[in-house]
Amino acid sequence: MDDRLLIARVQAGDASAERELYDAHVERVYRLVYRIAGDPDQAQDYTQETFIRTFDRLGDFRGDAALGTWICSIAVSVALNGLRRGKRLRTREVALDEAATAAVTERRAEPDLRDRLARAIDELPEGYRVVFLMHDVEGYTHEEIGRTLGVQTGTSKAQLSRARAKLRRSLADFARG
Amino acid sequence: MIRDDDDQPLEAELRDAARAYHEPPPVPREALWAGIRARRALDRPSRRSRHVWTWAAGIAAVLVLGMGIGRLSVRASRPGPGASPVATAPTPAAAPAPTPGVNPKDDAAAYRLVAAEHLGQAEVFLTLFRASVREGHQERLASATARQLLATNRLLIDSPAGRDPRLRLLLQDLELVLAQIAQLAPGRQSEDLKLITDGLERDGMLVRLRAAVPAGTGVHFRQGAL
Repeated sequence: MDDRLLIARVQAGDASAERELYDAHVERVYRLVYRIAGDPDQAQDYTQETFIRTFDRLGDFRGDAALGTWICSIAVSVALNGLRRGKRLRTREVALDEAATAAVTERRAEPDLRDRLARAIDELPEGYRVVFLMHDVEGYTHEEIGRTLGVQTGTSKAQLSRARAKLRRSLADFARG
Repeated sequence: MIRDDDDQPLEAELRDAARAYHEPPPVPREALWAGIRARRALDRPSRRSRHVWTWAAGIAAVLVLGMGIGRLSVRASRPGPGASPVATAPTPAAAPAPTPGVNPKDDAAAYRLVAAEHLGQAEVFLTLFRASVREGHQERLASATARQLLATNRLLIDSPAGRDPRLRLLLQDLELVLAQIAQLAPGRQSEDLKLITDGLERDGMLVRLRAAVPAGTGVHFRQGAL
């Protein structure tokens, strides 16, 4: 359906149009925020917040990009802001936990590739991580990423290259072993 | 340095492993939709009262800020041990003398903290003010809140701990906007309101405030969909 028509119906108060808009985009939004957050409760919270903001701000949508891209940009913003807030609270707890368990876990068993890669992805700078997840994991194009994150396509490509380089470096010994 | 192979897709093994990273479960569509509807339904009737509470929270927060700055000022001007308790003529000074027991670095840090909090409050206030104007609301408490913010703003401008010229300029520009809002007279607001909001846009005040407020500064207004 044409985005503009759908938006007009939502703005006119058509409840079924709200549901249509939600159905059309929820899969993408949920998958994206889940990839970023990695937690079902947070993903649920961020998805809901994304659609609440979407409905509230629909009047601001200018149609420069596809509606789905605009909604994804809200989703990324909601998820990253949420994670930044949560990170500050968790940092101290994690540091204490790691100090307590470091002696126990030191390379007794080599973690498998997934664990190593997951940790390496977690350690990527935020911008690299988001671009990597969007492109290499969720299959977004650089054009879509650029419009979603508000960056140039070239920036998206450069960040992806750097993300891959960092991941390859992090996993170099694994590849050799 | 980016090598050529970094432009190549990851090796198949890595790619497969990456797909398992934070792999999403099936989307809980109905639960999500129910949550969205519930939150929106809760939000709707409270939207009007939220405005009132927002202004009230703003006033309370500004009062607390004012008290905090007051305490800082008292501490900074507290006489050292052995000083006479009687009033003395002020001595001219080019720069504030360091107070014994008060580390200038602490003062600067405290100032930055209070300034960040104030700018955050001002940003939320101006955002809500602009939204209210767009929605055609007449916020009776806007002028009162602006006056409270104005008082804090003036204290920050006058504080000897404020040495950042860019921050000072921002505070001076903010003072002009707050003064305009504080002077709004009931009844003939529409033109004046438009002038103020046009000025906000033209000067990029909100953008400058957002840029000046460090990420994570706790601003305890409910921001809704802002």
